[in-house]
Amino acid sequence: MIDFRDVSFVHPTGVKALDSVTLTIKDGESLAIVGENGAGKTTLVKHITGLLKPTTGVVLVDGQDTRETSTALLSRKVGVAFQNPDHQLFSESVEEEIAFGLRNFGFSQDLTAQRTDWSLKTFGLEEYRKSSPLILSGGEKKRLTLACILSWDPQVVVLDEPTVGQDSIQKEKLVETIRMLGSTGKTVIVVSHDIEFLWPIQPRVVVMARGKVVADGPASRVFEDAAVLLNARVTQPQLVAFRQLLKAKPSSPFVDYLDARRSIAELMK
Amino acid sequence: MMWLSGGFVFRRTDSAYHRLDPRVKLLISLLLFTTSLLVRSVFQLAFVLVVIVSIAAVAKLLKRISRTMLLTATFSLFIFVINVVFTHNIATSALYATRFVAIVISTSLFFLTASPDELEQVMKTFHLPRDVVFAFVTAVRFIPVMMLDTLQIMDAQKSRGLELEKGNVLKRVKNMIPILIPLVVNSVVRSGELAEAMESRAYGAVPKPTSLYVYRSSITDRVVALASVGLFAVAAYAIYFILPVSFI
Repeated sequence: MIDFRDVSFVHPTGVKALDSVTLTIKDGESLAIVGENGAGKTTLVKHITGLLKPTTGVVLVDGQDTRETSTALLSRKVGVAFQNPDHQLFSESVEEEIAFGLRNFGFSQDLTAQRTDWSLKTFGLEEYRKSSPLILSGGEKKRLTLACILSWDPQVVVLDEPTVGQDSIQKEKLVETIRMLGSTGKTVIVVSHDIEFLWPIQPRVVVMARGKVVADGPASRVFEDAAVLLNARVTQPQLVAFRQLLKAKPSSPFVDYLDARRSIAELMK
Repeated sequence: MMWLSGGFVFRRTDSAYHRLDPRVKLLISLLLFTTSLLVRSVFQLAFVLVVIVSIAAVAKLLKRISRTMLLTATFSLFIFVINVVFTHNIATSALYATRFVAIVISTSLFFLTASPDELEQVMKTFHLPRDVVFAFVTAVRFIPVMMLDTLQIMDAQKSRGLELEKGNVLKRVKNMIPILIPLVVNSVVRSGELAEAMESRAYGAVPKPTSLYVYRSSITDRVVALASVGLFAVAAYAIYFILPVSFI
């Protein structure tokens, strides 16, 4: 469980990035953090691995105070895939890149090889095993960063803007990966501007604006509240907006607003 | 690291010193630099430092210049120790160590108060080749970006269990590899992208491109420049003909 207790964070420049954030993320929960640029989303997730320490308040990860625990120790529990894959890839080969984290955490040679194979296979990177990670395409690099994180099987997976540079097929695969992670009991935290990507996952949604949590609840409820979203400069998923427009009509047909294809099929009847 | 970097990177501030013509700011920094080389005792150098700090106060840069001094002091201490070991003269060693601080902060005074655009204008005044000016100014402009990149890379690697402060010196140097490789690769990629973007915006299409701003010195600029040269002449005369020669 991750517990933010009245957490505020002020940057050395004096900018207040988090303002009295209180938030509890339960084990196995899928959580999306949305908000405009500068709302404090990335600052919030950096507190989970102790990369940033709260100016006031406490962040507890499995009961451990992040101010008293090193990032390396917290990272064993919390894997963060950062927005820009070019900020972490450096090894001579893709398999070395995956093994880097495993070696840092002291996995045995056998287990390192086993976990590396699993990651390469799961993320469709087997053919690039001996290739340099620097020659991969943007989408492949993104998959590689995810493979690196999941290789050591962290309890919590944080994905910071996972859809940047991904085509629509990759996005669909990413939705499946997040669902798969959720079904295996992992806590998945996704920071994203891509509302359409988040909608089919139906996570718990936390909306941030100016360093504060302004809405928190299931996606179906939070994304219905157009006023809150407008205040946080977040757009509604198109299917939700579509459904709301149809509901305004007295004889509106049934629309499954989770699935665009099904909605259209219903309307065409 | 970002805290220390603040001691070298330009930040837009509204002060009387910032509003001066960049050529005058360069002149003041050069005069302070030269005076730091001319002085022959630690006390004289302390006076130069007081002048630099006073200018920093006018430019609302006291906090930031103190960071520059703090970082420079580390190297300065090294210079002092090496000199004491080889010359066995504490006064000379102290003079060299303090001189290093004065030289660095007089230079940083210019870079802290001149924006990259102003820097470009100053370099153009000296009729330097456009490509050289562009390369230098771009390098200056990218310092904050590179610093931000470094921090983000460090965060990413620490999140994969890398402990930068762990182990002996050799291990710590080795730990820098996962930081340096992405930094260099990103810089090379970025410079390639920048070159393409510049060419697609007609960089180099004409030999003499026009400027958005043309700097013209005001009366204040001329008065400050003349006063600075006058004070420098007085200081140089005093150092060589009035003040006694002493390392202390």
